Amino acid sequence: MRKNPAMRPPRAAGPVRPGWAALAAAVLVAVAAAGCGIPRDPERTLDRVRGGTLRAGITAREPWTTLEGGRPGGVEVELVERFAAELAATVEWVDGSEADLMAALEVRELDLVVGGLTADTPWQAKAAITRSYATTRVVVAVPASQPPPDDIAGMRVAVEAGTDAAGILEDKTDAIPVRVADVTQVKGSAVAVDEWLLDDLGLRDTGVHLSKAKHVMATPLGENAFLVRLERFLIAHQAEVPALLDVAARR
Amino acid sequence: MSAHHELPPDKHEKLVKAVRLEWFSIVYLVTAVTLLYFTLGSSQAMKAAWVEDILGLTPPIAFLVASRVRNRTPNDRFPYGYHRATAIAYLCASVALLALGGFILYDSVSKLARFEHPPIDLVKPFGDRPIWLGWLMLGALAYSTVPQVILGRLKQPLAKELNDKVLYADAEMNRADWMTGVAAMAGVIGIGLGLWWADAVAASIISIDIVRDGGKNLRVAVDDLMDKEPTAVDDSRADPLPLWIKNELMRMDWVTDAEVRLREEGHVFVGEAFVVPVDDTDLVDRMERANEHLLGLDWRLHELVIAAVSKIDRPEPAGEG
Repeated sequence: MRKNPAMRPPRAAGPVRPGWAALAAAVLVAVAAAGCGIPRDPERTLDRVRGGTLRAGITAREPWTTLEGGRPGGVEVELVERFAAELAATVEWVDGSEADLMAALEVRELDLVVGGLTADTPWQAKAAITRSYATTRVVVAVPASQPPPDDIAGMRVAVEAGTDAAGILEDKTDAIPVRVADVTQVKGSAVAVDEWLLDDLGLRDTGVHLSKAKHVMATPLGENAFLVRLERFLIAHQAEVPALLDVAARR
Repeated sequence: MSAHHELPPDKHEKLVKAVRLEWFSIVYLVTAVTLLYFTLGSSQAMKAAWVEDILGLTPPIAFLVASRVRNRTPNDRFPYGYHRATAIAYLCASVALLALGGFILYDSVSKLARFEHPPIDLVKPFGDRPIWLGWLMLGALAYSTVPQVILGRLKQPLAKELNDKVLYADAEMNRADWMTGVAAMAGVIGIGLGLWWADAVAASIISIDIVRDGGKNLRVAVDDLMDKEPTAVDDSRADPLPLWIKNELMRMDWVTDAEVRLREEGHVFVGEAFVVPVDDTDLVDRMERANEHLLGLDWRLHELVIAAVSKIDRPEPAGEG
């Protein structure tokens, strides 16, 4: 075959130029060396809070947050107070609607917002959401004295009026929802209730789970050192959440 | 009309190698895309690198589809065969590249304009030890960068040998990928150091690169579909083959004038040669012998139709453009 003039001899496939590899390695080593201080906050939230004031927004959502007589309480308030104590900070609570608090968080007038927020919160564009520190479920339960039913089809199930659980029970199951004001007052009937209340109310899970909520807190966008510090705290203390819920349930 | 085999035996070996490399590329890219997906977080630069890797899948797929489809023989419904299928796939891919690059550019610039600070938090991938997601991002980016650069360097000489523009474009994209990787890493490291803007700036740079890639490939694809004259595989200059064929024809004693036009169909050339014969003596035989001779000139010349005419109307020069 005649040699084709358009074809140049193929260049040998050389290795990656050492210059780039060395540069990349140098950068990685430098970053790894500084690794203990990473990530940092663009606006220094963690530095400011440490030994100072933690400005926390709260909106009431029992049992996570309560504002009885204007005094913050509940599972998340307890967690935030402990977190602040670890940072030697005092908490300054601000109450308001979720919209107000998130607007303030977005411009970093608050450092943290709690209020029964869940991982599917629509505020993700305005706030950095922590990883979830607790997962709760709404389950269909029967009194522990009764045998668990094979199927809840056609069963009358008490459910709190005006909740998503009521809607899910209506649309997604064949049970007959009976809307009541307070499910904890229902006696001797099947009931849709938070899983963590089962023991206190003497109920047994039927295995039908209506909804699942992953509980989170909100911090300012991009304040990654603060976010990571809070998440480390939550990971370390998430085992205490059931006990805190029990305390809340007894009250 | 006559046609010969698409690849000479020595090239066939290269094709087998290229096909193997492209299969490897696809498998590798799928793992890289998956890894990046699980470490995306809210980093714009990661998103841009991820999209680029997804789009990086199209040239290997186009190449592999083409290497099968082009062996299908023409039939009565598709009398010119199936070469064009690749060009169409390539057009679609480059339009997608352009559009996605534009979208990420817009997204990044608007995030920059809104002073949006990207959050990156902890993950627990290995049991109970939480780790900052940024570190995993850097690992994923390294995995999606270094092998691509090497793959690109392995593919480029093969693309030249096989005269395959899709393979060449793929090699170019792979080779250029170190920039994407380093830019995205710089963005993630920037976030780590508390420079909130680093991520969006890195993403903008990457998306500009994606747009440029898309634009370049779009031009090549449109040129191919418009039957532009054959060019070298890196598109740097016109291929001399049409001129060579013309000269060969002119050298034949029965030809008084000749003109040749060729177009690229995938990695091979097809086209027509117009000749003005001195007389009608033995014309069919002369033309058949000429065709056989010309097809032997270069393996890339796949099909040539010789037409005898009394006068040649030459096309106007197009000027530069």
